[in-house]
Amino acid sequence: MTAEVLKYTLEQVEALELAPGTEHQKLEGWIPEFASDEDIRQALEKAFDYRGDVTLTLKSGEKIEAFIFNRRTGATLADSYVQYFTPKAPEKRKISYAEIARLEFTGKDRAAGKHWEDWVKAYNEKKASGEKYALHPESLE
Amino acid sequence: MAVPISQMWTVATYVLKKRLSGNHRYPLVLMLEPLFRCNLACAGCGKVQYPPHILKKQLTPEECFAAVEECGAPMVSIPGGEPLLHPQIVEIVNGLIARKKYIYLCTNALELKRRLPEFTPSKYLTFSVHLDGDREHHDFSVCREGGYDLAVEGIKEAVKRGFRVTTNATFFDGTDPNNVRGFFDDVMAMGVEGIVLSPGYSYENAPDQNRFLGRARVRRLFRAILSNRKPTWKFNMSPLFLEFLMGDRKYECTPWGSPAYNIFGWQRPCYLLQDGYAESFKELLETTRWEEYGVASGNPKCANCMVSCGYEPTAVIDGFGSLKGIWGMIRGTFSMYKDEHALRLLSEPAPHGPATLIQIEKPAQVFEETNA
Repeated sequence: MTAEVLKYTLEQVEALELAPGTEHQKLEGWIPEFASDEDIRQALEKAFDYRGDVTLTLKSGEKIEAFIFNRRTGATLADSYVQYFTPKAPEKRKISYAEIARLEFTGKDRAAGKHWEDWVKAYNEKKASGEKYALHPESLE
Repeated sequence: MAVPISQMWTVATYVLKKRLSGNHRYPLVLMLEPLFRCNLACAGCGKVQYPPHILKKQLTPEECFAAVEECGAPMVSIPGGEPLLHPQIVEIVNGLIARKKYIYLCTNALELKRRLPEFTPSKYLTFSVHLDGDREHHDFSVCREGGYDLAVEGIKEAVKRGFRVTTNATFFDGTDPNNVRGFFDDVMAMGVEGIVLSPGYSYENAPDQNRFLGRARVRRLFRAILSNRKPTWKFNMSPLFLEFLMGDRKYECTPWGSPAYNIFGWQRPCYLLQDGYAESFKELLETTRWEEYGVASGNPKCANCMVSCGYEPTAVIDGFGSLKGIWGMIRGTFSMYKDEHALRLLSEPAPHGPATLIQIEKPAQVFEETNA
C-alpha cells in the first residue's frame, strides 16, 4: 500500500453497503516516458499490475517480451527489480530497474474488455431466443 | 457436526502446539493453486485473467509437495483455476493424502463425474464443489447454462462412491436470502457433508465490479440467511466465523492463516490480494509488512473483505485458543440461532427475484441491520 492511498476509517469500513469496484485503467499500447527514476518506478508498478505481456527494451538493446508478476523496490533503481516469465522460457527471470531503457504495454490486457453489462446483454438475448448461454474462456493458442 | 472429529482433533492439537511454542504467526490452510487455467469464465472471478503462456503453466507434483512441507499447515485447499484440468492432479492429491493433509479440492465439477474413478475415497480428501445457488442462479453466476446440472451430477456420483463432499458458495449483492435457504435444503438432500460459504471479494480484475457486498450489507444478508437454521443444515466451517458474518463477532483478518502458493511463488499478503511474491514461506512470513493489511490498517483493498480465507483462521484460532472459544464452538454447532427480527427480514421482498436477476443497475433492497 502506498502512502498516498486514501485510507478508510473503521467506521467507514463497517458502514459500507456496496464495496466500490475498480475503474480499469487502459494501459494496452501505452509507452510510458522514462524522464526520471520516479517515472520508471511508477511505470513498472503499473506493469506489475497489468494482466498482459509487456516488452522491455534493455539498455544493452535486447528486447524481452515478458509477463511481469513481481517487483521489489529498493532505495535505488539498481536495488530494484522485476520478476517475469517469457512466453518461451519455463523459468522465472529477474532484471534490475537500472537495466531497463523502455517499457511498452504490447500484449493484450486480459482483464480488459470483459464487461458485466456485455454478459448481461448476452444472457438476455440468449434467454429470449431460447438458446443456451455461456461465456467461454479464451483460447490458449 | 459437519467436520469429522479426526480433522477437528488434528487442527485443535496443531493450534495448541503452536500456542504453547509461543508461535503467533502460523498457517492453518495452505491455498495451493497448481494452475490458473479454468474451463469457466465467471463474471465475479479475478483469478484467471492471464496471457495464454501463463495459463499453460502449472506446478509440478514435486513443487506442490515442497510447498506443503515448507508451509506445514494441517489442511490444504486446492483452488485455481480448475484443479481437475491439471494432468497430474491425481498424483498431487495422492501425495498429499500420503502426507496426512486434509485436502479440499475446489472444483466447478464440470469434469468431476468423469474423473472420479481416478480418485480413492479417504478421510483426508474432500471435493469442495463450487455451487452458488439453485440452477438459475448458479448458471448465471458462472456464466454457463448447464453448469449446475453437471455439478450436481458430479456431487451425487461422488457421494455415492463414498467421497467426502461439500458445496462452496460465494454470494454477491442481489442475493435473495430465501433463495439461499432453499438452496441449503437442496444441497443437504444431495447427501453432502456440509456447506461452505463466503461473501465475494472485490477482485480488481473481475469483469463485474458492481456487485461486491460492503461489510454492513454482508452482515444483514448473512443474518437473514443463517438465523433460524434448519436442523438438517450442516456447515463445514467454524461456527464462530459464521457468527462473524452475521455480525455477532468482531474479528481482524489473519492473512498468514491461509497463505497462497502458485506458479509465481508465495503470494503477498494473502490468497486474494496480489501485492507481490516471496521465494519461500519463511520469507513471506518475515518480510511481508502485515501491518499494511486488514481492516484496522485502513487499506482500501481490505475494506470490504469478510472472506473466509482471512477471517476463518481468526475464528478457528479463537475457537481452539480458550475454553470460552471451545464453548462458543459447541454452542454454535448445535444452536439454531432463533431470531425473530431475521425472520421478518425473510418476509420482505427479495432484492432480486430470478426474473429480475439481470437488472444490475437497480439498487438492491436494503435490509434493516439488526446487530452490527
